[in-house]
Amino acid sequence: MTQQLTTITETLVERFPGAVLKDERPGYEGYLVSAENLPEIAQFLRDQMGYDYLSSVTGVDYLPEGKMETVYHFFRSTGGSALELKVSLPRENPVVPSLVSIFPGAELQERETYDLLGIIFDGHPDLRRILLWDGFDGHPLRKDWQEPYYEEEAKPFKSRWPEGRAIRVEEKNIFKKNVKYPAGFDPETFTPEGDTSLFASLDKLKRHDEESGMKSDHIIINFGPQHTSTHGVFRMAAAVEGETIIGLKPAMGYLHRNHEKIAERNTYLMNMPYTDRLDYLSPLSNNFGYAIAVEKLMGIQPAERAEYLRVIMAEFTRISNHLFLIGSLLNDLGAYFTPMLYALEERELILDVFEAVTGSRMMCNYFRFGGVARDLPEGQLQKIKDLAFDRLPRKIDEMDRFLTESEIIRARGVGVGVLTPEEAIAYSTCGPVLRASGVPYDVRRADPYSIYERFDFDVAVRYHGDVYDRFLLRFDEIRQSIRIIQQAVRDMPEGPVQSGKPQYQAKVPAGEAYGRVEGPKGELGYYVVSNGKPNPWRYHVRAPSFINLTALEKLCVGNKVADVFAILGSIDIVLGETDR
Amino acid sequence: MTTGSVWEWIIKSVVIVFGLLTGFAYLTLLERKVLAKIQVRIGPNRAGPMGLFQPLADAIKLIFKEEIIPSRADKIIFVLAPIITVIPALIILGVLPFGGIITLFGRQISLSLADLNVGVLYITAIASISIYGIVLAGWSSNNKYAMLGGIRSSAQMISYELALGLSFIGPILLSGSMSLHDIVAAQKPLWFVVYQPVGALIFWIATLAEVNRAPFDMPEAEQELTAGYHTEYSGMKFALFFMAEYIKMIAVSAIAATLFFGGYRFVLEDQYPILGPVWLLGKVIVLLFGMIWVRATLPRIRYDRLMAFGWKFLFPLALANVFFTAIGIVLEKLWLIPLLTIAVFLGAVVMVGISETRRWRSHVF
Amino acid sequence: MTPLQIIFIIVAVITLFAAIKVVSSRNLVHAALWLILVLFGIAVFFVILSAGFFAAAQVVIYIGAIAILMIFTIMLTRRVARDSGAQHNSNWWAAAVLSLLLFTGLSWILSRWQGFQSTAQPMLESADPLRQLGEGLVAPGGYLIPFEVASILLVAALIGAITVAWERK
Repeated sequence: MTQQLTTITETLVERFPGAVLKDERPGYEGYLVSAENLPEIAQFLRDQMGYDYLSSVTGVDYLPEGKMETVYHFFRSTGGSALELKVSLPRENPVVPSLVSIFPGAELQERETYDLLGIIFDGHPDLRRILLWDGFDGHPLRKDWQEPYYEEEAKPFKSRWPEGRAIRVEEKNIFKKNVKYPAGFDPETFTPEGDTSLFASLDKLKRHDEESGMKSDHIIINFGPQHTSTHGVFRMAAAVEGETIIGLKPAMGYLHRNHEKIAERNTYLMNMPYTDRLDYLSPLSNNFGYAIAVEKLMGIQPAERAEYLRVIMAEFTRISNHLFLIGSLLNDLGAYFTPMLYALEERELILDVFEAVTGSRMMCNYFRFGGVARDLPEGQLQKIKDLAFDRLPRKIDEMDRFLTESEIIRARGVGVGVLTPEEAIAYSTCGPVLRASGVPYDVRRADPYSIYERFDFDVAVRYHGDVYDRFLLRFDEIRQSIRIIQQAVRDMPEGPVQSGKPQYQAKVPAGEAYGRVEGPKGELGYYVVSNGKPNPWRYHVRAPSFINLTALEKLCVGNKVADVFAILGSIDIVLGETDR
Repeated sequence: MTTGSVWEWIIKSVVIVFGLLTGFAYLTLLERKVLAKIQVRIGPNRAGPMGLFQPLADAIKLIFKEEIIPSRADKIIFVLAPIITVIPALIILGVLPFGGIITLFGRQISLSLADLNVGVLYITAIASISIYGIVLAGWSSNNKYAMLGGIRSSAQMISYELALGLSFIGPILLSGSMSLHDIVAAQKPLWFVVYQPVGALIFWIATLAEVNRAPFDMPEAEQELTAGYHTEYSGMKFALFFMAEYIKMIAVSAIAATLFFGGYRFVLEDQYPILGPVWLLGKVIVLLFGMIWVRATLPRIRYDRLMAFGWKFLFPLALANVFFTAIGIVLEKLWLIPLLTIAVFLGAVVMVGISETRRWRSHVF
Repeated sequence: MTPLQIIFIIVAVITLFAAIKVVSSRNLVHAALWLILVLFGIAVFFVILSAGFFAAAQVVIYIGAIAILMIFTIMLTRRVARDSGAQHNSNWWAAAVLSLLLFTGLSWILSRWQGFQSTAQPMLESADPLRQLGEGLVAPGGYLIPFEVASILLVAALIGAITVAWERK
């Protein structure tokens, strides 16, 4: 590993003399590159070094140093650890070249970074706000930005009852009203430009007129934000010609709550239950990724028994998530709830286990730094064994038998929403979307974390990249997860579930860490920067359902209106995670 | 035309209309109960014993709901559309025989409203009118979803009307009459479904499309077009669409029973003609159960494939069915008809299967 | 007046009114709806004349197929559904004179027709008009050749429509 890194350093420094510097700050890794050389270096990394997968794009505001940084995490699609690039920018007018032309998967992430941090990506084809609305003042993840009911920089807040007298937060209101508008902004005369620019990006598509000589018109249809099949408040503006999609733009942010800003105010442990709320269908995977990132920073190893418990719970989460997906995908295809309810029946049993073990069915809050919150209650092991060895394999086979060969499902899924492997990597898709396109990339194998190296399981791959394959892949993954659970239950040792004594205030040394796990929806990454204080300085979530949406337009164009929802359903998004 | 017979007509009409309305109410309950049982749920069980008052509660709710008319809608047509939808559904059963002749209060009463000599044609005529309500609802709402739903439904219903009309021809040829009474009488020895298995199947599929039931519920495809043509409707106007759909279900089931399953005839009907409506009701319920079952089981077909299926598979098959039926009748060998038509049907299925499979897996990375 | 005559007059008035509305409506969809009412009125006339088959055929073909296709095309070309141009053009007086001439000519021809004086024979109970119609269409002595020529014409039109709509890849 060290050998490999040295060669990378040498190659990079040799190729770009003066432009690449190793990040020497304690606790930091990766390379600092200059802004003007970034596209060149990214291209070189992709074409010559095999770092063809741009996993995460984000930024950090280093207010005390008076600078900002954009942070890029590159991976090889054949596996291995991250290569991190950072670009240092001035806080005033930060401009960095966009990587969209080299890595199309950066599109939504760069928009998000622009929206939240105000970093301008030069050359981005469609740089608009994405999560916040047009009239929003400022960029909230900048450290000097303050919200309407701003209290203090970091939790735990001081007492609101000093000297026995309550201080109401409204009295602290720094704007004297609960909204702050940008300068020169009048809500009465404001006409939102978001829709105009959203539609403008679709209006370029009047191509058929010249080609066929026939005057044909397209109409723009809005799906959502209130729509039965968008799985939440998600919106798509589609240009359709007849029933064929010729252009489609996602619009999101309706559920935005600035998870990252809130998390930066929280202490480290306070964020653990908060991660549950990201993808509320797979809370334990969210816990897992965050725990790994912070443990990397702290440099501790979780207890042995806890590792097994973590794996069992994370794999159960994957099964329950995929069951839910299979059910709701079938609903999207127009099956009237029957497959959904049968799938939910099994999911309920898994949630029963969660409830018994963690105390909650959905907001589990089970992981701790260095272990898990508590051991299995008496009798739960038997219940888990019954599920893993008997009930789930049987029921999955049954569902597979009834659904997979259905003519209508095949007709609706085969050849619809095709993504080639090259496109899948270029668009930074992850998880089942990537693997259904024939790329055998699974973080559990590609960059093993926790104890996944000890288990015997296959990376589920399918090779057609269409809706039907993404559907089948979920069955494959459930089967592999059951295998992992079976082995984990068999091998689980006795012992404590916490390494060291439980602590309420994690002591996290300064540095940065990128912890990633293979969540049910794909690579779930947490980029955490610590400055040694009780609160994370930067906390960024690489949300798989957000980044998978980058490929949505590519998947939908040329298909029918009805296919859009099959495709969206097969990507598997949860708006709690997409909008954060 | 005596006063007595006028009263008889009026009473029979009222009975049919109220029968259909009650049938609609309890069909919704039946559907919810059956769906629930199939989906390992309980279903409505709060209003009354076993949820029997549920339709009543629904009706009360719908009547008192606010009626919203979109400000940019075409108001007259918007109000007219649900009415246009319901009327054909209510009058389509006017020519259907519900039973033989019974004696009541010393009067010979025929258990049917009218015996048109072009009864089958009447049914197709009324069925073709019923498109209008949906199309106009879609157009007048001034809403893109509703509009797409309206366009879809008109195209879909026109396409499937052809196959539907052709599937009528089998029973017409076999009985030599377009009167539904004669068709029922001709089935005394044997139900027509025996001679017309493929015809009955085509009829069944085409009626599913005609009444917009799953898996052909395109116009109201919830996942794509929210509620399709009735997106903008609320309250009682919405209920009228709902009513029309369910009454149409009952009507087509009754027509299917009459054309292919011997109508009101079954055991003991000769001795006790009053059993006629009971048997018909039984057959209708069985067919309705089939429709609900299909809804609980199958996902929706995509719209372009639905059209392709209607035009490229169902329509030629219906033509072939008519052709072979005619051959069987001309040769006076009726047993040939089922053999030939089933052979053609299986051949067509295999051919489609082969070509589809080849097309599906044409790309592998 | 017999009840039948009263019904005839009512239906005739409605049909004529609807016909005028067809040409005077500004909204194309409304015009199409009035047209449907006209077609429906004609179907009622067929019923009054005891021609059940023609009534049903009128409804199936004209209302169920042709008019719905009109509405379909109007809906697909949403922008032209509302006509904002002038209601009359400069030739309106020529059209008025022409239609007046046509009307007087028709009335004159009809007034000389003997059919009004004689009473039509009632149809025999045993006669089956449907069977006669069918035989008339396909019997060699009947209208076989015009019938077949018409069907060939329709097939030609069908093929033409497919050729026009065919999207060459």
